[in-house]
Amino acid sequence: MIPNARSHKAGKVVERMGKKLNRQLVGSLVGCVHCGMCTESCHYVLANPDDPTYAPAYKADQIRKIFKRNFDWTGKVFPWWVHAQDIRTDEDLEKLKDIVFGKCTNCRRCSLNCPMGVDFALLNRMARGLLVSVGVMPEGVAVVSKDQWEVGNQMGVLPQEYIETLEWLSDELEEEFKDPKARIPIDKMDAEIVYAINPREVKYDPRTISDAARIFYLAGENWTMPSEGWDMTNFGLFSGDDELGGAVALRVYDKVRELRGKTLVLSECGHGYRSTRCEGPNWSGKGVPFVIESSVLTMLRYIREGRIRVDKVKNKESYTFHDSCNNARSCGFFEEPRELLDLVVTDFREMYPNRAENYCCTGGGGAMSMSEYTPQRLKSAVIKADQLKATGAKAVVTSCHNCVDGLTDVIRHYKLGMKVTQLVNLTANAVIIPEKVSVPVFIPMPVEALPLQGFKILVVDDEPDILAFLSAVLEDQGATVIQAADGEQALALTIEEKPDLITLDLSMPGKNGGYVFEAIRNNPEIASTKVCIITGKPELRRLIYERPVAPPDGYLDKPVNEETLLTNIRMILEMKHPVGHA
Amino acid sequence: MLNEFRVNEKTIRLMVGFITDIGDMDGMVYYARPDLTLGSGFGTAISTQGGPKVQEELKKTGSAKITEVVVTGGGNLQAKYILHAIGPRFQEEDSEEKLRATTLNTLRKAEEHKLQKIVFPAMGSGFYGIPLEVSARVTLGAVREYLEKAVEPKEVVFCLRDSRELKVFQEHLQKMK
Repeated sequence: MIPNARSHKAGKVVERMGKKLNRQLVGSLVGCVHCGMCTESCHYVLANPDDPTYAPAYKADQIRKIFKRNFDWTGKVFPWWVHAQDIRTDEDLEKLKDIVFGKCTNCRRCSLNCPMGVDFALLNRMARGLLVSVGVMPEGVAVVSKDQWEVGNQMGVLPQEYIETLEWLSDELEEEFKDPKARIPIDKMDAEIVYAINPREVKYDPRTISDAARIFYLAGENWTMPSEGWDMTNFGLFSGDDELGGAVALRVYDKVRELRGKTLVLSECGHGYRSTRCEGPNWSGKGVPFVIESSVLTMLRYIREGRIRVDKVKNKESYTFHDSCNNARSCGFFEEPRELLDLVVTDFREMYPNRAENYCCTGGGGAMSMSEYTPQRLKSAVIKADQLKATGAKAVVTSCHNCVDGLTDVIRHYKLGMKVTQLVNLTANAVIIPEKVSVPVFIPMPVEALPLQGFKILVVDDEPDILAFLSAVLEDQGATVIQAADGEQALALTIEEKPDLITLDLSMPGKNGGYVFEAIRNNPEIASTKVCIITGKPELRRLIYERPVAPPDGYLDKPVNEETLLTNIRMILEMKHPVGHA
Repeated sequence: MLNEFRVNEKTIRLMVGFITDIGDMDGMVYYARPDLTLGSGFGTAISTQGGPKVQEELKKTGSAKITEVVVTGGGNLQAKYILHAIGPRFQEEDSEEKLRATTLNTLRKAEEHKLQKIVFPAMGSGFYGIPLEVSARVTLGAVREYLEKAVEPKEVVFCLRDSRELKVFQEHLQKMK
């Protein structure tokens, strides 16, 4: 390469940086006095005190030096004096990638604590966007971004899968309340509320959808869920891709307009709330002619107006609350969740620090999708783990799906033994069913009507306790269960027994779950067998989904509880009716 | 706005929808990777709805270069064939010219396989970063140019994901009048 010449990609990064610069960014690029206040705010620094490369000021300098060399006159005239340096090679881009994606969750705690008003997260997000524009990004970021661009949601939930999930949740709701009106309306015109969700709810946690539906039904709300534009999350916030941010926000807004909805209510997701309510109008360049609010506010209003009644004694655990960075720090949304908590739980214990000063769950900024940085993420999570432990609470509540996953990972890694839940789950549990709604008392199900009767399920796990637990839960629901304790046995039994579904552990001695999964998908005789991965190593998710075969039908993290297991197994088996199978 | 354009008894049509759900198509175009791994996005839909056969066929080819097109069966999809078009990505050099070549190669493959109706996405826009305006102008232009001389395909559909994409394609279709 000619000295001072840039690679094609580096050239494009610098060219685009020039177009991105605005007053806010330049203020943050020139404002730093290296006072060190930011280092005390960052959980990465606190957990790695001997590694200066985690300091927000250091990380910002890696972006700042490119700015100075190319756009600031001081860096052009005497670069050695102001530490200006160009970015030249593709290797330079890769190094920058590991900093902006791997060493920061864009939580903005340092931004809030900077006396000079430097918003490092803003710089970091810009740098991420510049790298993404030339295809330099962690593979997980690419996977999720492409899913959201093309399929329309972050988790690649196909249109049919989404509608079918809402249908079977509706069937359950109707059965529960014995009322044909107790259903999830789809694309209803002129509704008061259009409810948009996180695709994680469809994929892994459909109970949060039915809990919300139960609350809307009991409040007598005129509501609907959209068939398109239903994903209120926005990976553009994490990847720095403003185009994606605008496109996703527009899909949501356009659908609400088309349905003539009055209020767009967002399920509990921190980055979705910030993206759709605060940033989306800027990215899309269009105003929003309707109200946008968090479902936390909606639930609180229902209780205050007497539209639903709650009994907090139903939630007797000790609970603490984790403020999502995007809700609390970026949107100032932290008192309302506490007001609601006070109404639905008996024992609330504050976490310190809290509200806008809370520490990140460590899974923010898309970190959960970047498995290559998992070890450093979990190491830095010791700050969060200590904070959680100090509360003495048995469960942590959060209004963010990303935080649910981040906290679950921290709790598992540091063996804290806490549960993670959301306000919608607690409110639905605390709600008092009015007498006018007939709710069936327990009706024993006849043996022949057990939900999984007639299904043959192969349970694969090398840990005897887990094998026994999964088998017992599935057998109790009528399934015929066969067991395998290793990969070889699993493959042989799949061919021999042709099960309807396999629950598959990944980490096993000998032929591991990944090998077994690919072998199943590559064998035409058994390729269509439904597979639900159940693993204690969520970082292996990427390896499974990147295999050149059809993806698994479900994916659950250990420890898995009975309800989650059964919900997901039944969803995979596409059972629309809660009793028996078609 | 214009959603349909006639070229020598053949049709270019615009619609909003989900590309793997479009029935009555002989071929579906997938903006593919050089390593021919289906990956995420529409690749997820092809893997899930089409079954493992598509990726198995691609494995036999291995890889392809930018502007090349690999044809496989549609597996369990409604479209009989998938045209895996390896287009330019992420601001690479000569993106416009490569996108035009990719589109023309796709149409040539469709004609070789005697496909009457094929459906394109907004080629390269979105994740791969080709500006939507460039994608619409270049691909619509290449399709028109090809259909003026070709026997097949008889109908080329652009299945777009939302009104934002549709609007830009409509504007460029209007300019072709």
